[in-house]
Amino acid sequence: MLRYTLHRLLIGAGMLLALSVLIFILLRLTPGDPIDAYIDPNVAISQEEMAALRTRLGLDQPLPVQYFAWLSQAVQGNLGYSIQRFDQTVAGLIAQRMGPTLLLMAAGLTIAIVVGITAGVIGAIRRNTLPDLSLSVLALVGISSPAFLTALLGLYVFSVRLHWTPSGGMLTPATPFSLLDLLHHLILPAIVLSVGYTSLIMRYTRASMLEVLNQDYVRTARAKGVKEFWVIVKHTLRNALLPVVTLIGSTIGLAVGGAIFIETVFNWPGMGLLLVDAVGTRDYPVIMGATLVIGAAVIVVNILTDLTYAVVDPRIKVA
Amino acid sequence: MRLGMLASALAVTAALATGSTMLALPAVAQDGATITGGFDVGPGGLQGNFNPLAATAGFTWLVTYFEPLVIWNAELTRIEGALAESFEVSDDQLTYTFKLAEAKWHDGEAFTSADVAFTIRLAQNDKSGSVLAARLGSIASVETPDERTAVIKLSKPAANMLDTLTKLMMLPEHALSKIPVEELAKNAWWSATPIGTGPFKFSRYATDQYVEVVANPDYRGGAPEAARLINRYFKDPAAAIAALRAGEIQFTYVDSNDVSTFADAAAFEVIEGPSLVVNYVGFNQEVPLWKDLRVRQAFMYAINRDAIIQSLYGGAAEAANCVYTVDQFVPEGIEAFAYDPEKAKALLDEAGWAELNGDKPITILTYYTSPLVTNVLAAMQAMLAQVGINIVPRAVDTPTYNSIVYGETYGDFPLIFAGLQNGPDPSNINIGLNESQIPPAGANIMRVQMPEVTAALDAALGETDAAARDVAFQEVCKATNANLPWATMWVANRYGVASTKLENFVWTPAPAGGPFQAHPEKWSVAQ
Amino acid sequence: MSALTLSASGPLARSIVRFVDNRAALFGLAVLVPMLLAILTYPLWLPYKPNDIDLLAMNAGPSATHWFGTDGVGRDVFARTLEGGRISLLVAVSSVVLSTAIGFLVGAISAFGGRWADAIAMRSVDLAMTLPPIIFLLVLASIIGSGIWSTVIVIALLSWPVLSRMVRARLLELRERDFVMASRGMGAGMGHLLFRHGLPNSIDILVVYATLQVANAILLEAGLSFLGLGVPPPAASWGNMLNAARSTAVLEQFPWQWLFPGGALVVTVLAINFIGDGLRDAFDPRADL
Repeated sequence: MLRYTLHRLLIGAGMLLALSVLIFILLRLTPGDPIDAYIDPNVAISQEEMAALRTRLGLDQPLPVQYFAWLSQAVQGNLGYSIQRFDQTVAGLIAQRMGPTLLLMAAGLTIAIVVGITAGVIGAIRRNTLPDLSLSVLALVGISSPAFLTALLGLYVFSVRLHWTPSGGMLTPATPFSLLDLLHHLILPAIVLSVGYTSLIMRYTRASMLEVLNQDYVRTARAKGVKEFWVIVKHTLRNALLPVVTLIGSTIGLAVGGAIFIETVFNWPGMGLLLVDAVGTRDYPVIMGATLVIGAAVIVVNILTDLTYAVVDPRIKVA
Repeated sequence: MRLGMLASALAVTAALATGSTMLALPAVAQDGATITGGFDVGPGGLQGNFNPLAATAGFTWLVTYFEPLVIWNAELTRIEGALAESFEVSDDQLTYTFKLAEAKWHDGEAFTSADVAFTIRLAQNDKSGSVLAARLGSIASVETPDERTAVIKLSKPAANMLDTLTKLMMLPEHALSKIPVEELAKNAWWSATPIGTGPFKFSRYATDQYVEVVANPDYRGGAPEAARLINRYFKDPAAAIAALRAGEIQFTYVDSNDVSTFADAAAFEVIEGPSLVVNYVGFNQEVPLWKDLRVRQAFMYAINRDAIIQSLYGGAAEAANCVYTVDQFVPEGIEAFAYDPEKAKALLDEAGWAELNGDKPITILTYYTSPLVTNVLAAMQAMLAQVGINIVPRAVDTPTYNSIVYGETYGDFPLIFAGLQNGPDPSNINIGLNESQIPPAGANIMRVQMPEVTAALDAALGETDAAARDVAFQEVCKATNANLPWATMWVANRYGVASTKLENFVWTPAPAGGPFQAHPEKWSVAQ
Repeated sequence: MSALTLSASGPLARSIVRFVDNRAALFGLAVLVPMLLAILTYPLWLPYKPNDIDLLAMNAGPSATHWFGTDGVGRDVFARTLEGGRISLLVAVSSVVLSTAIGFLVGAISAFGGRWADAIAMRSVDLAMTLPPIIFLLVLASIIGSGIWSTVIVIALLSWPVLSRMVRARLLELRERDFVMASRGMGAGMGHLLFRHGLPNSIDILVVYATLQVANAILLEAGLSFLGLGVPPPAASWGNMLNAARSTAVLEQFPWQWLFPGGALVVTVLAINFIGDGLRDAFDPRADL
């Protein structure tokens, strides 16, 4: 197990290196540089000044030189300074944004797991009844709606019209931190983020429960007179949740992408918003840093999923 | 590398989560009113910039805690004193004398003429990251005969010197002289502990979320009414509008197509004013299609500007027949280019448009991505199609746009839909039309080389007599009306919406956010 | 739909029976087919063109003349919804064709090509899964110009990795079977292995994936257009029509401008999902796709 983990981590490190090269090249192919992003076309400044700015930022050097200069710093844990925010380090920006994103994703996933599994189990037990069918249709509608539309409508109804939740952000500015305030800001984006996942988890849970309920050992347990509740909890749920665990793991990477829309609509100060802003302003160091951290997170989560899977199901041999 | 990075990121996050609790607590003494706004939302704002030397916009907010020597009045009609109590310009336009107000920096030190000299030297040095360096190039020396007097000597007259000085925020020599010039731009001072002389003192910046300034009780104009101002950051105007309607902020810039949302709401006041940005269809002169004046005229006749203004802008724009719309600079008797598609067709026929291009699609590049401009371009596309010109809009983000138009692949931008500041100082237009400003020298991105236009601009810029100056800029208007380097469209209005709870609040949609004298110390809010 | 073309082949008969028994899937078909017909034929019977402006009738609500109302420059929302459907489906289907091809080839080569090919293919799958799509789009837009085809390529590049994993898993089992061993022993080339053994044995995965992925691609296109990175206006797509809902005025005062394209999108995606589920159950009721 240890060897396997180390092996996977090593491959992961190599992939991050490849990712950094790829992103670096892609970025330099992107039209416009940070200076172009800085200039408001309505209020033009002279080209000499732009050229001077470029020189100072080191953007006039050949690509490989720029890349190795960046890499040699990055390996030592120094991701450099943001170009557009001269006085901010990239590591600092990412550190500030990591927390909010993790919080949002954790909240969204928790809701999705609790609601999704409950609904899935109900659907499986009451197969083909009205509750099951309506839950199934609801889940499909959830999967079929674009997240940003749900977010916009949620924002409009609960914030603009009803004034129940704040319109965006994570904390009320210039008030003392309070958990209640945080939860108040968190609840709507977390629910919107969870919609797609709830539906997905529910469908998987239901399908996998149905399959397990038909297995011989479950029938045996029932025949032996074990109470239905215990049949569900002890014999069925644990086995039925295996594919659900994989699903959750393998979609966490995608969740970062989904969170971009939610963070954009709700002004949530997370990694997704950081990346969108950085791309908009061509803030190369921030894009590189954020991409690598997200990439690293995805790789680590994938490894963890595989390991968890091996722990939950001893039949799986990792190799 | 990766694990270390992740681990440290997680550690910092954890520290931050607990740390922010502690940080937030002492900052809160809720005695008195807080005014929260989206002061950096929209085209005049520049979120995340704290360094006035590097500011190309965002002055509305910067002047709540910094101050320039001189500033535009709120109507943007004339320049008045700010940190300079009074100022004089010599007849030969070479000597500017400023009498300084008795002001104190936020740390209690006195503001003196030495600070003025220091700030100008700093801004002239492009190593400091100053975007004003070129515009201040004509300053030969700054003399400080006494603590309250600063004399700026120019090597040659510069008609827009006062306008440039409105954008130059005074900086404290005692706080900044210790920092090497090259490191100034990256110094944390700007967003952590900046001090100015304005009515509010910088308090804190919650990265990418909001900036807080608190009242400066020692302000020479009197202690501010409000206890603090908060400038919240928003990804786009739509997000700010949601916050405004949810009652979380009291002011924001609003896109014109969203104004109707507030039109009859008693809780809000709509503030309207001209953008001072002239919108135009630019003809890339490196593309042979546009050499013929008749083709350019055909655009003016084919586009029903009045219909677009009435229906899409809701009447809130003024058609531009030359680069200016302000009466002062628009002479009598210039061609008005009333909508006339038949005339446009005739002109195109004369110019041989069918052989020249026919109905082959022509890209029109723009950096405007707002729903309004998307609609405007759709309307233009349909109108031009009627006379046989097939344009295809392509909206890109600002960096992409800049990299294309400053480049030399002219086929990528045969046409542009853009805007350029034409006020409050009319000479702002020079950089986009003067032959001497063709890239890489300046921003004449359409590579306009029209002797009449260049001559008129040079004459107006060199004119030092105030009365003669208006006439000289009328000549610029005439030249651009006759030669049509651009098909000038309109100057649209821009909007802000403020809660009616705000009192004595002043805002105007100035290009780049001004700066203009808004007297933030007088703003107050009913609880 | 793709299932119908396969109906002639014998081994699929049972699957088709199962599919026809699935009421949800049939419901999906019943919704999707008329919709597709309308989208494909509308220029023949609708008096409005999607890009015809009418400044005198802008922001008008639904009426007898404009069934779905008009938008901010007086274009007929019904015509734009149908045209938007064309573009959205064009983007979705093209990207799915592309991603299915890439996904199958990478997955199959990975399974049949030996250790090194496998390692390289799987690592590139991992790499593709960690790439941020926004950056991809910006670069592509600069190289091939922003628009429909760069959107197609981005969506395709985003979605193939999942498929290659499934194809690889399926074909790895197959590799060890006698008939494959035999043909390899007889010196069969890669092309033979891929298309004579790989394709027939993973066709069910491909069909189900492709169907469900069309639904996903429609959603992705909408998301990209929402960020301003997808199909650029004035071309209509469901995504960029929905983008209008960002403006509070449109959201609140002119709901028909986003409600109809939004509704069309959700209903279409729902119908495709129903069909995809039906296909999956038909091929293998126990499949864990």
